[in-house]
Amino acid sequence: MEIELDTRGGPTSGPYYEDVEGFNMPEAPGHGSRRIPRGDFPTGPEVGTRLPDIVATDHTGRQLDLHDDRDGQPAVVVFYRSAVW
Amino acid sequence: MDAYRAAGVRLYALSYDEPDALADYAEAHGTTFTLLSDPDSEVIRSFGILNTLIPPDDHPWYGLPFPGSYVVDADGIVVAKFFEHNFAIRPGPEQLLAAALGTEFDVPEIERPPDRMSVDVAIDGDRLPMGVTRQIVATFRVPEGQHLYSEPVPDGLVAAAIELDDNDGILSYEPVMPPTSPLTLSGSGDTLAVYEGDVVLRLPVAQNARNMQKDDDGRFVTISGLVRWQACDDVECFLPESMPFSFRVEAGFPVLGDMGPGVGRVPAMNGAHHFQRLIDRRAGTDSGAGE
Repeated sequence: MEIELDTRGGPTSGPYYEDVEGFNMPEAPGHGSRRIPRGDFPTGPEVGTRLPDIVATDHTGRQLDLHDDRDGQPAVVVFYRSAVW
Repeated sequence: MDAYRAAGVRLYALSYDEPDALADYAEAHGTTFTLLSDPDSEVIRSFGILNTLIPPDDHPWYGLPFPGSYVVDADGIVVAKFFEHNFAIRPGPEQLLAAALGTEFDVPEIERPPDRMSVDVAIDGDRLPMGVTRQIVATFRVPEGQHLYSEPVPDGLVAAAIELDDNDGILSYEPVMPPTSPLTLSGSGDTLAVYEGDVVLRLPVAQNARNMQKDDDGRFVTISGLVRWQACDDVECFLPESMPFSFRVEAGFPVLGDMGPGVGRVPAMNGAHHFQRLIDRRAGTDSGAGE
């Protein structure tokens, strides 16, 4: 899949930039962490398929397997950018 | 989180941060859900959602995913997913919980004569934090024998829809509509998409950072628009109708990424320290800076 970089938007008042949807940001569109796709981009496993295994360390330092840990309950799994910045 | 716990729905949030950064975040914000650490982006890669627009030598940013959320049922099957082009947009917790439970937004039943259409419009939350979507929910209670149309419709017919006014700073996304059935008109032979029974339309909306129709110094935001529809039965169509709506909700702010003390920031977590470590580790020069 060819993924196109969205560079639409531009400078706004002060030291800020604004993307095409009007969100403020500290970097120009298409730079740094502001590299967002325009058009199709991969969104991972499809609806109707089993969520692939996730084995990772949690914030308490415990290694966990998500499907074991949810213990037969439904779950929401969020992939986000960072808790640090 | 209480609503998630009560519903028995687990919440996990995965990022490329180190476990100790997540521990600091959880402590600073009193997080009660599970934060997962994927510092080498192995899980992100295994899902095929690594942001490949970021080159590998851009150390702070390489390894990020295209952000999004999956909702899985008790068997671990993905029942819904939410991905937006713009990382600044994400679904609200109510939307994710509703998807996990397979429930509709609860609109109170109102008294009405059984042969009359009733329409309710509501917003599924009392706040609109920047970048977090809420849904405008229009519920049509359709009398027996009548139906509503979905787009596209020929001239002269009006499809059921939620239309926003030009509210500066309010963005709308792909509407969520129930499935339709085909209906072939006997006169023209046109086949139209028809909603059967009661109909719930949802329009996700978010606010960006532009000046908008704010009041009280931006603490509130007003979202206005119109719901349109036209009911028909097997014999005739009634006149098109519309109903204006206007919601004034708290503007709200999400929890900000915390890079240190400052106005509106939570100074309890030293984000700058973790960010420096992340850069150093990725540049292969992890000197334990800031420790």
